[in-house]
Amino acid sequence: MIGRAVEPIIELEDVSRIYDLGKVQVPALVDVNMHVAKGEFMAIIGPSGSGKSTMMNILGCLDRPTSGRYVLDGQPVADLDDDGLAFVRSRSIGFVFQSYNLLPRTSALENVAAPLMYQGVPRRERLMRAQAALERLGLGDRLSHVPSELSGGQQQRVGIARALVTEPALILADEPTGNLDSHSGAEVLSIFKDLHSLGRTIVLITHDIEVATAADRGVHIRDGQLQEAVLG
Amino acid sequence: MSLSDLLHLALGRLGTGKLRTALTALGVIIGVASVVALVSVAQGATKGISDRLQSLGTNLVTVNPGFTRGTGATRGSFGSATTLTIDDASAISGLAGVQYVAPELTTNKLVIAGSLNETARIVGTSPAYLSVFAYDMWTGSFINQASLDHNMRVAVIGATTADNLSLTDTSIGSTIYIAGLPFELVGILQSKGGTGTADDQVIVPLTTARELFVGTSSVSAIGLSATSEDQITTVSGEITALLEQRHGIASGATDDFSIVTQAQLLGTVSSVSDVLTFLLAGIASISLLVGGIGIMNIMLVSVRERTREIGIRKAIGARGRDILSQFLVEALALSLAGGVIGIGIGVLASFAIGVYAGWGFVFSPITVVVALGFSLIVGIVFGVWPASQAARLDPVVALRYE
Repeated sequence: MIGRAVEPIIELEDVSRIYDLGKVQVPALVDVNMHVAKGEFMAIIGPSGSGKSTMMNILGCLDRPTSGRYVLDGQPVADLDDDGLAFVRSRSIGFVFQSYNLLPRTSALENVAAPLMYQGVPRRERLMRAQAALERLGLGDRLSHVPSELSGGQQQRVGIARALVTEPALILADEPTGNLDSHSGAEVLSIFKDLHSLGRTIVLITHDIEVATAADRGVHIRDGQLQEAVLG
Repeated sequence: MSLSDLLHLALGRLGTGKLRTALTALGVIIGVASVVALVSVAQGATKGISDRLQSLGTNLVTVNPGFTRGTGATRGSFGSATTLTIDDASAISGLAGVQYVAPELTTNKLVIAGSLNETARIVGTSPAYLSVFAYDMWTGSFINQASLDHNMRVAVIGATTADNLSLTDTSIGSTIYIAGLPFELVGILQSKGGTGTADDQVIVPLTTARELFVGTSSVSAIGLSATSEDQITTVSGEITALLEQRHGIASGATDDFSIVTQAQLLGTVSSVSDVLTFLLAGIASISLLVGGIGIMNIMLVSVRERTREIGIRKAIGARGRDILSQFLVEALALSLAGGVIGIGIGVLASFAIGVYAGWGFVFSPITVVVALGFSLIVGIVFGVWPASQAARLDPVVALRYE
């Protein structure tokens, strides 16, 4: 058991994910146990093929474990149906992706407002909240720019604004600096540190131990199993 | 998601690919426009024919000599059978329910007025002709009882004939020559319009025509008007009985005359036009169907292209039904926009055709409603499958899609 917390955001108990490819069964996660406390900034470090992406999909409620228990922010989510998972993603999780994954041909403002649309927030309010989030990330003058008009660093900051706008319990960042130059990458990591100091719970998934040092706790993932890491 | 969110998304999407949107909608535009225009053409043509039939006379019943046959194309045989006589006409005028009776003796002769001439249809008839066939005088007067009684050489001409021979209201009282014989022009008929031959004829007293041109006591046809519309069937029956008795034909045997009523003609026209309308609407529906398949095609391509977008939307909280409604509303917006534009074009086209063909503008609100309904159905039917494909995408797979 890694990390015991009084007020956990993430509790994984004996979580396994086995891909059924017909003739072969491929275990991607094997009996994983992990706790992440509220306000923690945790890094999951692993090379490609280690089960890192599967971990991200499970934690992000994009996929279900084959077995085991997953409690996110007090709610068991392992057995939810598709709509239930969508609801949890909408309310409790903010994603930051390696390739930003902004909606193309859609302004920064609309991109950041989009998660609020799926929460049913009225248009006027969600645009106001989206604008506030973008301004907090220093993009107040880029509201009407579409992704193709923004630099990689700016696009990733739009992505972070989109993850923050719903005030989620968990921010899940998947290689957020992977597509950025070192300067923009450092900038993005310092944003995560700031968010952490403001009390946000962040899980950062990366293959890069350097990047992982931004977090205050780390675990290695290898062959679908976790192992405490020593950072810095 | 609210409806306004969905509309916002759909219109934004359609607005970013204007050429593609326009080409996709074009299929529906053409389909709906052809449904509206072709149905309107069918209805306009029907109205044109019905109007002409009604302008032939009010409560008109026509008795033709010879064996039962169709109308129209067999007009050439008029006068070739000689089974109807002036006495038959007189007998018919004694029947209850008959208002006016106008026997007709028809022949074709050369008509000369000044330096102009034409071969015209010469109709020998009685003064009742004017009422039976619902003509109005444009100038002068119609042939009267005195001219009939005294075999007078007077003539009334149709509007087209007057045009052809350059005769106007100042020509009343002048002399025209029919088959070389001088006649006094006493009147010119008001035009009935249309493209038929109703305005191209020369009317003379029946007695004069028989004496000078034909020389028999048979007539080419007997036109009569019933006192009211509901009398037409009764009158037809009475005439049949009367003529069978006069001609010595057993009831049930083949008659040597036939009776055509306006109601029969109108009935034939409307059954033909129903077939025509269904046929044209059917052909037009095929293009609407093709337009719908065009929408489905482009929506399927769109779902494929936007797989990653769908993945992103699901990651940030969209449920399957949010994605489904987004794509469905897009398809509906496409087909509805196509439908509205198509109706506009269809209405303009039917207006242009109606004016050109001369039956005026026939606007049928039902057609418009049906066409709009069909374009909506096309949007739903052909949008729902691509939309459900989109809704069912696995977010993990969709997010990784390049």
